[in-house]
Amino acid sequence: MAQKKLGREIKLMKGNEALAESAIRAGMHAYFGYPITPQSEILEYLTEQIPSRHGLVLQAESEVAAINMIYGAAGAGARVMTSSSSPGISLMQEGLSYIAAAELPCVVVNVSRGGPGLGTIQPSQGDYFQATKGGGHGDYHLIVLAPASVQEMSDFIFDGFRLAEKYRNPVMILSDGALGQMMEKVELQEEWSLPYTENPWATTGKPASRERNIITSLHIEVELMQEINHRLLAKYEQMKEVEVRFEEYMTNDAEILLSGFGLCARICQKAVDLARAKGIKAGLLRPITLFPFPKKQFAQLGKQVKVILDVEMNAGQMIEDVRLAVNGTCPVEFLGRMGGVIPSPEEVLAKVEAMAESLFTVESGG
Amino acid sequence: MENNNVITPPDSIGTRVEQPVKYTAKDFSSGLEVRWCPGCGDYSILAQVQRTAPEINVPKENMVWVSGIGCSSRFPYYMDTFGFHGIHGRAAAIASGVKIANPKLSVWVATGDGDLLSIGGNHFIHACRRNMDLKIMLFNNRIYGLTKGQYSPTSEKGKKTKSSPHGSIDFPFKPVSVALASGATFVARSMDRDPKHLQAMMARAAEHKGTAMIEIYQNCNIFNDGAFLHLTEKELKDENVVYLEHGKPLLYGHNKNKGIRLNGLTPELVDLSKGEFSVSDLWVHDEHDINPARAFILSQFIEMEHFPTPLGIFSQIQKSTYDADVEEQIAEVQKTKGIGNLKKLLYSGNTWKIE
Ligand code: SF4
Repeated sequence: MAQKKLGREIKLMKGNEALAESAIRAGMHAYFGYPITPQSEILEYLTEQIPSRHGLVLQAESEVAAINMIYGAAGAGARVMTSSSSPGISLMQEGLSYIAAAELPCVVVNVSRGGPGLGTIQPSQGDYFQATKGGGHGDYHLIVLAPASVQEMSDFIFDGFRLAEKYRNPVMILSDGALGQMMEKVELQEEWSLPYTENPWATTGKPASRERNIITSLHIEVELMQEINHRLLAKYEQMKEVEVRFEEYMTNDAEILLSGFGLCARICQKAVDLARAKGIKAGLLRPITLFPFPKKQFAQLGKQVKVILDVEMNAGQMIEDVRLAVNGTCPVEFLGRMGGVIPSPEEVLAKVEAMAESLFTVESGG
Repeated sequence: MENNNVITPPDSIGTRVEQPVKYTAKDFSSGLEVRWCPGCGDYSILAQVQRTAPEINVPKENMVWVSGIGCSSRFPYYMDTFGFHGIHGRAAAIASGVKIANPKLSVWVATGDGDLLSIGGNHFIHACRRNMDLKIMLFNNRIYGLTKGQYSPTSEKGKKTKSSPHGSIDFPFKPVSVALASGATFVARSMDRDPKHLQAMMARAAEHKGTAMIEIYQNCNIFNDGAFLHLTEKELKDENVVYLEHGKPLLYGHNKNKGIRLNGLTPELVDLSKGEFSVSDLWVHDEHDINPARAFILSQFIEMEHFPTPLGIFSQIQKSTYDADVEEQIAEVQKTKGIGNLKKLLYSGNTWKIE
């Protein structure tokens, strides 16, 4: 294959397109997908570009078919990706459980929208539980990356493939409709900059010299299954040790800590600035990996700050992990918007101000 | 109060309580603002359904419209009947559930080529196989409209769309062939632009007991405009459409001078004006033919060069329906084993009293 070097370049792109372009640059061999709003641009961009670049793209008959094509192609050793939006991601859960059990690498992008059910086509973070707690049946986890900008929609594709191949585990990029549709400047990574790994386990043919390889997730013997469960758990423990990613903003002297991922982290960052301008010592802790979750950082900051305000575009999902992490050392309050509604920095500020006031009242009163 | 814990179906649902009223098309309109693109073929289908609904032998209160997801699946909102806007591809399965839970209902499915044949293909073939008494109206526009213009399982090979900018390399489904092969007992084709014919097809489907599938060619004027122009335009229609009528020869053409004859299992186009063949040599359509082979040949015409597109009923045969059979089986088992008594069952076997 001819190795084109496009170099680093800055472009104005839609989140979905930046992600699709980056998948090509990251050397993706195959993409399987099915149209669904608000992420059909990924499929469309890839079908446009791929024939003259490299890789292949197939519009499947459903998301169920797409994830099973991923299972097959990943098993054959290819670098593979699929993308969808919430209802379509639900359809992929069976396949993801099997892929995690069979220990195959792949990247799954969820440009999520309001739910449950068909819901809306507006942005939402209602799939946090599904993404971080497994989603399908059995004891497994996806590695979950939550971008907050078009730049990260692009970069996390590279990180996603790297992590998927390192751990032989599916990686989910949990984005949302706003990030998928918004246009921002993005610095694209160099094409072919992500080396391929050796896949001795891949189904690539069996010469006489090679042992045969059966990809399966079925292990009837309970002891064997338990052993495999332990092996998976050991991988997840290692991820928790070395793969946790997060971002802190103005946390050094913070008394009120905001927490939010993805789009909400951006909104919170703005709210922190507004609060600081009013003399409120606010800060932000933004988990970038939702699994593994930055538990230690929350635990530490939980001892430092007086209160945490968790902001999400759902009914309160990540807040459960935040509460578990701080383990009662400080109260955790919640501000949530659902159904595709995005909270504004001003309404986050209003809540921060109210919290600051009650802290002050309590302090001066007692 | 003593009762035998016998679970009975909810008899009151769907049974007719009022005196029969003569309804009009307007009575079947929900009055909601219709939100298809201006000029979309779906409007005509809705109008024909609303016109036909009062004429068929289905009490209004028993009519249910079930859909999946797609442009056509907005249909239930616009009918003043019970409705179900379901899950993408699952309309046939959801409708099967509705029918089996309450067999008195007349269950209609509004679906599209993406919904029914792509993601829903599996449920569709199994609904046909069971011969559940469902009426499936397939709005076939050969494109994904709702997601803004990707190719569908009925798009022609080579078609350029948003997700096939260099031309699709998929072979399309022929929905009529799929329905016939899956065991559907009523299979027809009509068009949004042929109102009278569409009304007639719907009325015939309503009379039928078993899975009825009507493929309706529907123009998506936004993403696949003119897909059926050669069938709908006055000057082209006569040359490109052959109407299937039971007991009548396959005759078409502006001057009714063209026909189709069967040479063994091979259909042949013949020009009657040449004098070589006459009307009596032509293939006479038998919609009740128990052998689906001929109907299947008709369903292949759309991919055969120079052959006209058949509209009408390809096949209508009688077979027992799943919903009737299941009731019959229950009655039979109850006759030999008696009606189950939950209380008796709970107090039978290893039970004892604590004293
Ligand atoms: S997109 Fe096409 S099928 Fe959908 S409403 Fe508009 S014209 Fe009709």
